[in-house]
Amino acid sequence: MDFVTGLFPWITNGPLITVQVMSGLSVGMLLFLVSVGMSLIFGVTRIVNLAHGSFYMVGAYLMVTLVEVLPAQEWAFWAALLLAPFGVAALGGIIEIGLLRLIYRRDPLMQLILTFGLILVIGTLVLLAWGPDNKSVSRPDALAGSVRILGQPFPSYYLLVLGLAPVVAVTLWLIFYRTRWGMLIRAATVDREMLGALGVNVARLYTQVFMFGSWLAGLGGALAAPTVAVALGMDGDVLTTAFVVVVIGGLGSFAGTFISALLVGLLQSFGILIFPAVSIVLLFAIMAVVLIVRPWGLLGRPEE
Amino acid sequence: MVFSRALAVLLVAAAVAPLVLPPFFLQLLTEIAIIGLFATAFNLLMGFGGMVSFGHAAYFALGAYTAALLVKKAGWPVLLALPVTPVVAAAGALLFGFFIVRLSHTYFAMLSLAFGQIVYTVIFKWKGLTGGDDGLLDVWPPAALKSPAAYYYFALGVVGLAMWALAAIVDSPFGYALKAVRENPRRARFIGINVRRHQLVAFVISGAFSGLAGGLFAFYNGSVFPDFAYFTKSFEPLVVALLGGVQSFGGPLAGAFAFKVLEWLISRQWPVYWPLFLGSVVIVVIVVLPQGFVGLLGRRGWARPGQS
Amino acid sequence: MRMRSRTTVSWVAVLSAFLAVAASAAPAGAQAKPIRIGEINSYSGLATVYTFPYREGIAMATKEINDAGGVLGRPLEFIFRDDKLKPDEAVKAARELVGQEKVDFLAGCISSGVGLAISAYAKEAKTLYFATHCQTSRLTWDDGHRYVAHTTNNVNQYIRALAKKAAATPYKKWAHISPDYEYGHNVWEEFIAYLKQLKPDVQVVQQNWPKLGETDHSSYVTALLQSGAEAMLSVVWGAQEIAFIKQARPFGLFDKVKLFSASVGNPDELDPLGKEAPLGAVTPGFAWYDDGMQKRHPKLAEWVKKYEARVKKEPTLGASWGYASTYIIAEAIKRAKSSDTDKVIAVLGEGYEMEFPWGKVIMRGCDMQAIPPQWTGVLKTNAQGKPVLGDIEESHGKDLIKSCDEVAKLRAAAGEKKK
Repeated sequence: MDFVTGLFPWITNGPLITVQVMSGLSVGMLLFLVSVGMSLIFGVTRIVNLAHGSFYMVGAYLMVTLVEVLPAQEWAFWAALLLAPFGVAALGGIIEIGLLRLIYRRDPLMQLILTFGLILVIGTLVLLAWGPDNKSVSRPDALAGSVRILGQPFPSYYLLVLGLAPVVAVTLWLIFYRTRWGMLIRAATVDREMLGALGVNVARLYTQVFMFGSWLAGLGGALAAPTVAVALGMDGDVLTTAFVVVVIGGLGSFAGTFISALLVGLLQSFGILIFPAVSIVLLFAIMAVVLIVRPWGLLGRPEE
Repeated sequence: MVFSRALAVLLVAAAVAPLVLPPFFLQLLTEIAIIGLFATAFNLLMGFGGMVSFGHAAYFALGAYTAALLVKKAGWPVLLALPVTPVVAAAGALLFGFFIVRLSHTYFAMLSLAFGQIVYTVIFKWKGLTGGDDGLLDVWPPAALKSPAAYYYFALGVVGLAMWALAAIVDSPFGYALKAVRENPRRARFIGINVRRHQLVAFVISGAFSGLAGGLFAFYNGSVFPDFAYFTKSFEPLVVALLGGVQSFGGPLAGAFAFKVLEWLISRQWPVYWPLFLGSVVIVVIVVLPQGFVGLLGRRGWARPGQS
Repeated sequence: MRMRSRTTVSWVAVLSAFLAVAASAAPAGAQAKPIRIGEINSYSGLATVYTFPYREGIAMATKEINDAGGVLGRPLEFIFRDDKLKPDEAVKAARELVGQEKVDFLAGCISSGVGLAISAYAKEAKTLYFATHCQTSRLTWDDGHRYVAHTTNNVNQYIRALAKKAAATPYKKWAHISPDYEYGHNVWEEFIAYLKQLKPDVQVVQQNWPKLGETDHSSYVTALLQSGAEAMLSVVWGAQEIAFIKQARPFGLFDKVKLFSASVGNPDELDPLGKEAPLGAVTPGFAWYDDGMQKRHPKLAEWVKKYEARVKKEPTLGASWGYASTYIIAEAIKRAKSSDTDKVIAVLGEGYEMEFPWGKVIMRGCDMQAIPPQWTGVLKTNAQGKPVLGDIEESHGKDLIKSCDEVAKLRAAAGEKKK
């Protein structure tokens, strides 16, 4: 087997490393958008929402439809990007009020299993609504090409991701730490019962949190759509990665998810260049190690 | 163990089935028996032990691949290979279970899922040993057991023995200690029960019988593939057990019957809708179950010897 | 041991339903007894983008055949089952079709693993199995046997057509990106072996094996940019190839490295890519819309029109495969003058040829492998700005495929390995 490795020369290639790092960070940012919703939902409601990947997928598919339906103008992309997450949030709301509320008193594992059932239901509904064909969203003309970073080409669209995701992250931080609602959320992650005892409508908070988490997943899907194929099966791919990210970072920890998403994004970007043979199993192995050594993740809170 | 009338009727029906039913239905019943064993072994952990594992397909696959490899590559006869399957699966369950039982609840589930996916990936990538995603083909039982009726009786016999063993375990002092651990681990510890050890033993037993089911399945199917270890397969015993009822020993077997029949009926007519149906059933079963998880496994469900 | 009464009731209900269905599922009495073919494929989930048009092709051919009087005066009937992309489900479906529905033949598959599993079962059950949409050469070669035939081209033929085109170019340094599973390895190995045979100075500078279904290829793109390759083969397909191409283009990969792809010419990839399609890429495909194609094959336009009238969509390569498979099966039965398995196998063993709207398909006797025409082209945009396959070069699989002797050697080698 002729395998001439070209790896070692490029490790000293500064511009290339820079571009690759930025690429990895972009991937990480998209992962963060998807994962933080899952982490948030767990933190407050203790449900691991396995249907999160499905929300991501619906966000991407809604993006396709919106771009098709809106007039073929430059602003159509941005309008679609803005609207698609709300569609997913609405779906999340329906699910939360119609199904999850019925089983709140239940063991969270039962709720987790219910979200697994949702994967199957939503997946089939997407097939029925949009058909089996692969779909795609084009990048807006302004961002379709590439820019030169230290002489290396770098996709302009990733600049959007690199710019938008931290804005979202900072906004989230502001919401959690500077608003009353955010304070309620943080309180709920510590002690739900006390919160209810203090007169807060915990049920409504749960609904809001679930919808917000779904909104974030939808945004992740809509933003990622121009970089991947919008096709059946995209829910499973993103779910596994988001799951790993959230576990490593710490379920319920916002900062943990951020760091973990960036790490995983970089690892995926560089992983195959350093450990080609084991990259598939690497993520799950890391997840296993984290669960064994420090189950609550990098920055999570130990369960009692 | 007390034999209730329902069980007696069932045994007679099962014995007589090959005289009445066409071969395909015997094969369906064989599959039901095998999956029923898998689900019952799984339920030892979930229903009786209060631990939910999302990576149990790994032990099923370990059993299936052990059976296939021994027969294909080492040339062992089927009757010798089959008893080895629970041993290998138990070893895997011991190795992983050691880490898994130190966690509880959601984390338990997640670590079991991670290990399950690791097993899947190893099987998939280790092409030299396992054939990778080509799988191992031509793994058939010997001529005497090959006909649908013959393998049906064989599988039924093995499954019956295994179920009897599992029932004995459940009704043993160990079984009672396990239930006590499920109900209240702290109190169990105070009365001197080594919680971790009991959970690990339960995990290993559950893994062993899952492996036996896997071995039976390998010869039933005639081939083994990596997706036997994939996490979607791990959900099968879970759904089956939930469907049939995790509170009773026979629940998972009943669930296996209902599940496989429904799957056959629906998938042949409306294949596109099967995942929709399955997902809806899971949701409905969970919403309709009357009480919380622990309350669900309340004192009412488990009967003792001497009661009918 | 006590059963909760609710569980007991549900037992009884399902048991009776089961028995009722079992009783009613007994085969019907004989009329003009149809020839029944049990077709197993992936009719749920993400493979449907390929199998739905394929099934339409089967339906169209079946209707044509039955309207013309059927096969040996008997109507042709397909019974479809879903394999859920799982080999054990496929075996289960095969058992039902053979044991319960008592079909005359088995057909189907899109996943190579499933095809091999059905083939192994068919050998056991001594039922003739026509593999259709799946492509692995192992079906009729390494793992071939008396009870399996393959009605479409296999990896060996269509990738050799591409390799031949590649050998005519000056590129010496090659890299590739292929999904890390059986099909991916099969395609790459066949491609590079034939390319080196035709052009010995070819050098492989890099290999990339992303997992099947990988979504982020940025590291592979970087690796390829640094590989020093002049040309590359992309074996990733479907949604994965769409993602790879969308991710690679802005990095300027395809300006630096000439792209050869095993599947980007197919509409399921080309249409979604739209203006992001990698123009200039060399790839095989069924370009029924091409003027040259339609001139060479005068009946093609009419076939396409008929398909579009029925299905309200444009045909795909898979649709042509479904159509051709049906006719090939029917022809074998007609020539055998019987639906008896051994007689049909004998006919297949002698081999025959058939004309289709897109050219001649040979059913080769020594391995019961179909050999159709092969087309490679270059991606361009048409007058409407839509990406299409152009500059079509047509060859025939018979000039590319491994010879019967080579196949016999492969089978012997595989047989040795099994011992």
